[in-house]
Amino acid sequence: MKRSLFGRLWPNVTAAVLFVGFVFPVYWMFATAFKPTGDIIAEDPVWFPTDVTFEHFQKATGVDHFWTYVGNSLVVTILAVVFSLVIALVAAFALARMRFRGRRGFVIGFMLAQMAPWEVMVIAMYMIVRDASMLNSLVPLTVFYMMMILPFTVLTLRGFVAAVPRELEEAAMVDGCTRGQAFRRVILPLLAPGLMSTSLFGFITAWNEFPLVLVLNKEAESQTLPLWLSSFQTAFGDDWGATMAASSLFAVPILILFVFLQRRAVSGLTAGAVKG
Amino acid sequence: MTVQTERPPSGPADVRKSDDGPGRPQPRAAERTGALAPYLLLLPACAATVLLLGWPLLKDLLLSFQNLNMGQLIQHVTEWNGIDNYKEVLTGEDFWRVTLRTLAFTAVNVVLIMLLGTLVGLLLARLGKRMRVTLMIGLVLAWAMPVVAATTVYQWLFAQRFGVVNWVLDKLGWHSMADYSWTSGQFSTFFVVTLLIVWQSIPFVAINLYAATTTIPGELYEAAALDGAGVWKSFTTVTLPFLRPFLYATTFLEIIWVFKAFVQVFTINGGGPDRLTETLPVYAYIEGVGNQHYGMGAAIAVLTILILLGVTAYYLRIVLKQEEDEL
Amino acid sequence: MKRKLVAAIGIAGMIFSVAACGGKDDDKAATGGSNKGQTLTVWVMDGSAPDQWQKDVAAAFEKKTQAKVKFEVQQWNGIQQKLTTALSEENPPDVFEIGNTQTPAYAKTGGLAELADLKSSIGADWTAALNNSSVFENKQYAAPWYFANRVVIYNKKVWADAGIKDTPKTRDEFYADLKQIGSKTKAEPIYLPGQNWYHFVGLTIGEGAELVKKDGDKYVSNLADPKVAAAMETYKKFQALSKAPKDKDEATPQQGEVFGKGNVGAIIGMGWEAGTAIKANPAIEKEIGYFTIPGATADKPEGVFLGGSNLAVAAGSKKQELAKEFLKIALSDQYEGELAKINGVIPNKESLQSNLAGNAAAEAAAPAAAGGGTTPLIPEWAAVENAPNPVKTFMTAVLNGKSPAEAAKQVEGDFNKRLAQQQ
Repeated sequence: MKRSLFGRLWPNVTAAVLFVGFVFPVYWMFATAFKPTGDIIAEDPVWFPTDVTFEHFQKATGVDHFWTYVGNSLVVTILAVVFSLVIALVAAFALARMRFRGRRGFVIGFMLAQMAPWEVMVIAMYMIVRDASMLNSLVPLTVFYMMMILPFTVLTLRGFVAAVPRELEEAAMVDGCTRGQAFRRVILPLLAPGLMSTSLFGFITAWNEFPLVLVLNKEAESQTLPLWLSSFQTAFGDDWGATMAASSLFAVPILILFVFLQRRAVSGLTAGAVKG
Repeated sequence: MTVQTERPPSGPADVRKSDDGPGRPQPRAAERTGALAPYLLLLPACAATVLLLGWPLLKDLLLSFQNLNMGQLIQHVTEWNGIDNYKEVLTGEDFWRVTLRTLAFTAVNVVLIMLLGTLVGLLLARLGKRMRVTLMIGLVLAWAMPVVAATTVYQWLFAQRFGVVNWVLDKLGWHSMADYSWTSGQFSTFFVVTLLIVWQSIPFVAINLYAATTTIPGELYEAAALDGAGVWKSFTTVTLPFLRPFLYATTFLEIIWVFKAFVQVFTINGGGPDRLTETLPVYAYIEGVGNQHYGMGAAIAVLTILILLGVTAYYLRIVLKQEEDEL
Repeated sequence: MKRKLVAAIGIAGMIFSVAACGGKDDDKAATGGSNKGQTLTVWVMDGSAPDQWQKDVAAAFEKKTQAKVKFEVQQWNGIQQKLTTALSEENPPDVFEIGNTQTPAYAKTGGLAELADLKSSIGADWTAALNNSSVFENKQYAAPWYFANRVVIYNKKVWADAGIKDTPKTRDEFYADLKQIGSKTKAEPIYLPGQNWYHFVGLTIGEGAELVKKDGDKYVSNLADPKVAAAMETYKKFQALSKAPKDKDEATPQQGEVFGKGNVGAIIGMGWEAGTAIKANPAIEKEIGYFTIPGATADKPEGVFLGGSNLAVAAGSKKQELAKEFLKIALSDQYEGELAKINGVIPNKESLQSNLAGNAAAEAAAPAAAGGGTTPLIPEWAAVENAPNPVKTFMTAVLNGKSPAEAAKQVEGDFNKRLAQQQ
């Protein structure tokens, strides 16, 4: 079946237009980060940074405690993602594979948990942590971030587990594996895309969190990157160049993770999302 | 990997037998462990939810019955004021106006996201490999951009004086737009916010939808073609039914995400002009945190949760039914 | 190009490692002496305390008390929540900077320690107008630290191109000059966004107007006052000469950066905003001049808003005596003077104003300070300034064509609600 020239052309043209539309703001962020301050606000936009400058990046990374923030952000985010994956995986297995009383209730429960409006509960969380004398610690941050991503992780992984044919598992058990072994050897490898897509989502969520860490951790030693990111917008004027440089750096780990996980994660998300 | 998950369950016999749960005495010890297993597996997740979500929620509920401002917070004073906060919120017209606005805002955004996301997803399926990868990279970049950065960039693009958008519109011959102030009107502000949210949400829908279409067995299309179905017919009889569960689940997620969107709405114009673009989360933030009127903020948060529950009730019912059918 | 890149990365790397060293905290254990090993935590806002000043004060403090001081620079974003929650904690910052208009609200919460003895020992000659905000219900809850007010920052070249020789002495002359720039040059006479609300507050102070009034035992909006309307009319008249957005304040975009483009005659801003312009365009430096905002008559400058900061001690601090010692050093003539000199801000005593000599911006600012004022110094005010600030809404409404009376009516409900908020 041969398509007309027009039939072949329009999808590509549309795709090209869409590509520009989606990429432009991202491009603008990176381009601005490299522009001299005088070019950032201009009567006629400076489309390409002609005088490339690293001044903004130097300013952004030159602040006190920068590496502490990087370390804290990585620790908190990675731990939150790992914990939530482990906890969610066993729960997802139960929800997808077992029949028991109250199953529906649990599923609905996690769906409700997904709706929690965290931003507006910050003061309640703050008071709990304060009264438990856990301020300025990475522990409450880690567990709360874990909780923010747990429901999504449970529900998504449930879809993945359900999508693994039961026959595979049964065959392994016939071969003498226990249920646990069957899970580990047969199901887990098939879940890799699911684990990746959920960890990506979790990573983005935890990596970006701002309101909670603002009130919980007031000591620089326990702060994270989102606070650093907002620090270039001050009462003495927003330093757009530094903000964009910081944003660019801030986005890099997510972009790397995306590229790294993308192929498998994408096919994965579907299977999970289908089951919702 | 298959997406077909509606297959009847064929789980091991011991688990199936224990349908009645642990409440009943079980004849054999092994069976009892089997019956407990799902609960044990769910224990960590449930414990975490109760402790880390249930507790803050309960605390928030308690705070909503208190007069809690700077002074009380600093002095650790608990001042109960009954349902005053709720009374003040619910009798003011602001709250209802904001609620309606939030619902409309959510509806418009979700419809746009799902519609355009689906179209882009289908386009991805139609493209050649090179163009598809290119577009996917574009989508992924937009998706991965930190919200704070994205919001800041949009603020600039639509800035009145030095914004690229006005500059382009002017050059394209629409000179009245040269100094157009996007943030001084309710609708133009919502336009920018919606564009931002839709732009950042489409990739999730499009990429997943594309991935889902790749799992549709080709035989289904062949069978449809044999029946003489055209492009549109095979779309409605094969593609759409196949994607329905996916679309339901994604719509549910998008509703939650758009409804709760805070940074985008708050940063673009602070809920202005004249508080005309405040959505519920922004309203809760301004009244509660911004004004340091924390009890009031807690009350609005509780009401926000209830409204979100109402909005998603329909979907939750579908899920309930579906779960029933499956087991 | 490549070499440049490598060099740049090298420099970036150096900065990383230096920053990493700076991140370490050396809290050595106490080895004797009552204060030895103690560390006082002091919060200062971003941009308030120059590095040199911090270093000098810390050294003097350690010399006198053997205790260390740890300055923590705070960002403005979310500072209120941060400060409120911090004051409720077991280990609040011992000393912190607090905005003058915010001080009454915090004094009322009981979060600030009373400083009567400090006032009597070092505060005898604090400028009365600057100390007002620190006093709540006749008790001293903070110490005035530094103040600043707006001036006209102008581009000498643009003014010369328009054929203007002298800086204006009255409001009408100022307006005429700007008109002349508009007609004789291609430059924008003044960049004045619609929500430079501190300048508007200054104008109301010049008119002798109050933003709130007492109604029984509570405060209500006074925006409907004809004097407020007069101030707003002045603002509108000048704003009409600008192409700046009517619904934005001077920070979006930074008016300093716009001014730095060289195509703007003047802005009304803080002295340091010239630095923003110079950063955006170093060539502008030699063109920048300053003058006091002219008032209705030549003998009296325009009213200005006296922004500023006080230093307060947390009531929950366990180091009250050390904290007061710190204040005595930080606010001593030597270091208060040093701060005024480095930052070009108005010090808390008139006798220290000599430190401003040679700083053109500060010299232009100082004459207006005596006639300056603040937003109402009542605890209820803090809620008004939270976004969306009804005064800003009022301004935009008038600039978009409403009469001041209509606009006042429009925002009255929100304004009064904020003032009436339960405390």
